[in-house]
Amino acid sequence: MAVSGRFVLLVLLGTVPVLLLPGWGTVLAVLAVLAALATADLLLAGSPKHARVLRSEPGNVTLHGTTEARLTIHNDGSRRLRGTLRDGWQPSAGALNPVQRIGVPAGEGRRVAVRLRPVRRGDLHAPHVTVRSFGPLLLAARQRTFGCPGTLRVLPPFHSRRHLPSKLRKLRELDGKAAVQIRGAGTEFDSLRDYVRGDDVRSIDWRATARRSAVVVRTWRPERDRRVVLVLDTSRTSAARIDDETRLDTGMEAALLLGVLAERGGDSVDFLAFDRRLRARAGSAVQGNLLGQLVQAMAPLDPELIEMDWPAVPAQVRAVTAHRSLVVLLTSLDGGAPEEGLLPAAARLAHDHVVVVAAVRDPQLDVMLRERSDAAGVFRAAAAERSLLQRAAVSAELRRHGVEVVDAEPRQLPPRLADMYIRLKAAGRL
Amino acid sequence: MTDVLPAGGRTTGSVNGTPGTGRRSALAWLRRHRALSVFAAVVAVALGIVVWGQLAPKGDSVPLSTGNAGPGGARAVSEILGRHGVEVQSAGKFEDAMSALEAGSSPTLMLYDRSGFLDEPRLLELAAAAGRMVLVAPRLETLTALDNDIRQAGVVPDASPLLTPGCPLPDAVAAGEISGEQGFVYDGGTSCYRPAGGAAGLLAVSADGRLTVLGSTAVLDNERLDEQGHAALALRTLGSSADLVWYLPSLEDLDTSASGQTLDELAPRWVHFLGPWLLVVALAAIVWRGRRLGPLVFEPLPVVVKAVETAEGRARMYHDAHAVQQARDNLRAGTLVRLAGRLRLGPGATADEVIDAVARHLGRSAADVRGLVNDQPGTEPRLVAWAQGLNNLEKEVSSR
Repeated sequence: MAVSGRFVLLVLLGTVPVLLLPGWGTVLAVLAVLAALATADLLLAGSPKHARVLRSEPGNVTLHGTTEARLTIHNDGSRRLRGTLRDGWQPSAGALNPVQRIGVPAGEGRRVAVRLRPVRRGDLHAPHVTVRSFGPLLLAARQRTFGCPGTLRVLPPFHSRRHLPSKLRKLRELDGKAAVQIRGAGTEFDSLRDYVRGDDVRSIDWRATARRSAVVVRTWRPERDRRVVLVLDTSRTSAARIDDETRLDTGMEAALLLGVLAERGGDSVDFLAFDRRLRARAGSAVQGNLLGQLVQAMAPLDPELIEMDWPAVPAQVRAVTAHRSLVVLLTSLDGGAPEEGLLPAAARLAHDHVVVVAAVRDPQLDVMLRERSDAAGVFRAAAAERSLLQRAAVSAELRRHGVEVVDAEPRQLPPRLADMYIRLKAAGRL
Repeated sequence: MTDVLPAGGRTTGSVNGTPGTGRRSALAWLRRHRALSVFAAVVAVALGIVVWGQLAPKGDSVPLSTGNAGPGGARAVSEILGRHGVEVQSAGKFEDAMSALEAGSSPTLMLYDRSGFLDEPRLLELAAAAGRMVLVAPRLETLTALDNDIRQAGVVPDASPLLTPGCPLPDAVAAGEISGEQGFVYDGGTSCYRPAGGAAGLLAVSADGRLTVLGSTAVLDNERLDEQGHAALALRTLGSSADLVWYLPSLEDLDTSASGQTLDELAPRWVHFLGPWLLVVALAAIVWRGRRLGPLVFEPLPVVVKAVETAEGRARMYHDAHAVQQARDNLRAGTLVRLAGRLRLGPGATADEVIDAVARHLGRSAADVRGLVNDQPGTEPRLVAWAQGLNNLEKEVSSR
């Protein structure tokens, strides 16, 4: 039951008879007429009980992208259904037109499209749809809410995609497809070809040259079919916001860029999201597009307010692969007591694998460091200095165990991690 | 450090509170809000004083009241009259005055109607019931209503502060001189105490002797009863009969039945219905806007913490504790690490090696640089100056 603005206007119009013929009789008469009109309108309204609402799944959309959620409303009643329909999306789904006018003749159906521009990553829900059915006078309406659950999966935006072409070019240079100026150390022998000017003279194969009249050089290609394991930390430290996004989101960007790059480089990629238990898992072992799998696995992840279970991480990696692989730990360098968590776990992993720790550095600390104008500023600088020193100490300790560290600001982390991968691949350390 | 506190981590202290901890926490609250508590107490005390002052029973302060012992009251004269066998009955309401008059035998009525509360019929009723009337400083309306030949004739001029009887009335002759300050003069009947050059006097008695008009309250009030012939005049004027009704009309005697039309009666009839009908319109509008189109949708909000928050918390802690030494150690160590990196000394370089390298790099004496880096600022202002010096050194090294 609801009334329209038109009904309120009618009540306001009722002032005229009340003022022209003042008396309680007039007041009661006008009230009776208004009540009768509203009741008649209610009775003549199409019954929302006989309506059915069906939802077609809106599917996936990247963050800040636009999509449409489609609903079909069927009118099984005997009267025309006219009024409004509201699709109950949660606010962060960014529904642009959740309330729409509908007019469905008896026995027919109509399609309704709600435009969505989501502002948050993850699974966004619409638990119900509400239909308000007005009578022919548009004075009063019957209202009913249908449970009609819908879910929209909002995928991580993958802004670091723009770094992909340049990193791929670097990778192809390694691959011997472009002219390589340097001799790739530790890489696999690929083929022999004629010498062209600019090739490294050290790569000339003298035996083959002796057998032929032309100078022949060896070409190498980087190792292929290696494994890359990306471990994303979803524990409490990943909830920290740096430069408008959480550590978790920055870690996802870095993992996506590295994952796509490594797949193009011919390596197999596995992804784990872990805090005290496995939150998500994806990998190129499964058939299908790796990028799609990665974003699908990452989309519903949220930071969990629990401590990371570092001792369990080596076992998780072992469950993915028993071979030597590149293990990338996307975490933070300054959460709690790294000497009890991250350091031993990374050291243990470094026995069997090549380990890279990628952490986000807070640019705000560098700003604080330069504040020296008054006592408060100097104390802030001292506090920032202490944070940075602790990070540096943890980094140094990790490097001492043979672990590579990528410590960069949020925008810089994905390309820096990709560079680290390319460098390791070029050095044949995978 | 960017530690993220789990939600609800701080709520453990306050549960399971015993009564003792409750009292302690209340005291702690008071201590925290000391200024607020003092202010609240002052306001409460002031409020109490005002309320007590309003509610406390006050003494009679009505002018010329028999119960009023103040300068403006008339308790003295009524007491004296009572001692000399005159039964003084004080009345504040018309009904009381009438019943007192009817009970006595040929009583005298003392009427002091300062604000003109009594209307004509009541005055005539009083006049009929009383054997004799003494009007003190009557208004024009009162005299007109009584339809006597005594009329108001202005005030006593300032030039004559003392008035002599100047008439054959025995009361006045016996009393002698009286004060004329702030008195009114009346014309008609036998008038006494006439200011110089006028026919009207402060005391006027009608021809039949039933109405006496006294133009001054000074003759009766406590303050000046003992001056000149005031007491004699007052006692002789009021004490001529055994019963005296002392009537001071009050606000309750005001006749309200004959007041004019109210705004309600003047307004047209439809105005009565406009308000209720607008209320109906408002109700309809509330129903229109208040009905929500379906239930609210739940938005789960993830926890997000600013990473720099922990470093800022640490900075405030340093500041509150005045941890100058700790801040100095941090800044020194950070600067040395950065300088070592800048000069490519490797991670194992000691402080002295870094200082020597910096001195060589800048072409300054090592002692000079060492003095700056190893300085021990004891106070906050010196710490600030030292930190700026360190920053400048770093900039100098990186600019070369």
